[in-house]
Amino acid sequence: MKIEILGSGCPKCKQLEANARKALEETKKKGEIVKVTEIDKIIDYGVMSTPAIVIDGKIKAYGRIPEVEEIKKWF
Amino acid sequence: MEKKDWSLMFWIALVFAIFYFIPPNSDWFNNSVLSGINLLGEYAKQHVLTCLLPALFIAGAISVFIKKEKVMKYLGHEAKKYVSYGVASVSGAILAVCSCTILPLFAGIRKRGAGLGPAVTFLFAGPAINIAAIFLTMSVLGLKIGLARVFFAVLISILAGLTMQFIFREKVEKEKLIIQETEESKVSNIVLGLFFVLLVGVLVVNGLQINPLLKFSLIGFFTLGVILIVLFKFRNHSTKMWLEETWNFAKILLPLLFIGVFVAGFIMPLLPQSLIENLFGQNNLIGNLIASVFGAFMYFSTLTEIPILQALIAKGMASGPALALLLSGPSLSLPSMLVIRKVLGTKKTGVYVLIVIIYSTIAGLIFGLL
Repeated sequence: MKIEILGSGCPKCKQLEANARKALEETKKKGEIVKVTEIDKIIDYGVMSTPAIVIDGKIKAYGRIPEVEEIKKWF
Repeated sequence: MEKKDWSLMFWIALVFAIFYFIPPNSDWFNNSVLSGINLLGEYAKQHVLTCLLPALFIAGAISVFIKKEKVMKYLGHEAKKYVSYGVASVSGAILAVCSCTILPLFAGIRKRGAGLGPAVTFLFAGPAINIAAIFLTMSVLGLKIGLARVFFAVLISILAGLTMQFIFREKVEKEKLIIQETEESKVSNIVLGLFFVLLVGVLVVNGLQINPLLKFSLIGFFTLGVILIVLFKFRNHSTKMWLEETWNFAKILLPLLFIGVFVAGFIMPLLPQSLIENLFGQNNLIGNLIASVFGAFMYFSTLTEIPILQALIAKGMASGPALALLLSGPSLSLPSMLVIRKVLGTKKTGVYVLIVIIYSTIAGLIFGLL
């Protein structure tokens, strides 16, 4: 499972990454978390509101920070 | 040791250093501290409850109830040009919350939406058209300069966008933007409209010069209206999100504002009046230009440009340079220039900065004549 966190490095993106990590730990699933910080790459996904989270190529949320529980449901 | 411990150690060391280096029994220091405290007191008494608080609630409401997708439609590449420039200049308040969201939005509008022009308009207007900042400007610095700020910020943002587009003539890639439908709010548009009118009404009434009893009853009446709408027309979820967003804004803006106010008050007695008067005392080209350049490079955290301007005006800054600072301050700073450079490249960033400085200077000159 590939989890990509899109964001240029502000506190919101860090919080989303932390939530994603926690969700991964708690569900004990296998996955890698990749941070995408370059603006050009971010808009290649079609996303304009960071932070955003993409799981296995699908955009799950953008412009907000989903809670740990919500992220777990997407695994 | 955990990261938190290092952070705590840093703060303890910093606070200690501050108090270690305080000059003992010095008049100027005590004077400055008192001035800082007094300015904080003034803000607390006159601006926080009646201006900041309603503005924060409004900002929270905007971010929850106005669907971003509806706005983004007008910034896509199918939108008519004059519409996208207009929408870009006012949508900062709706679309961008923290400064880090402005950059991806800017890149998106530029490459996949309406193009470089509206994107630049958005880049400038985003930080400039800030609900809390505008109302606080009117409350602290006066209605005239507050209105001038809004008017010229919108105007400059559109002109800057048009100028950039004219100079560089970029083409847009024909890709589509992802516009996801978020959940529909179950509140009718009429009720929503009334809600906003009442909230803004509180702010407007507070600024009017009318009989205090009338003012108080009008504000009370409007507030009651807002509460009734919230109780009976909003779902719990909407209300909860609104209050949460309001609190998020408050968390980000208020602490820095208080620090900024104290610092502005602290330095106010220290500012050399003669220097300020020489540089900015008159509505001439030099004064406006210097103020504009200063604003462009200096970093102001949101809202702190207001108490700083208050200090400068108290020490003799004329209205033209003051407006020039108000216009170039929030949208640009040396750090933000470096970040913009990563997306726009050095040449275009340089042109953008020049445009902002020139237009702010002109705006200041014009305002100074009024």
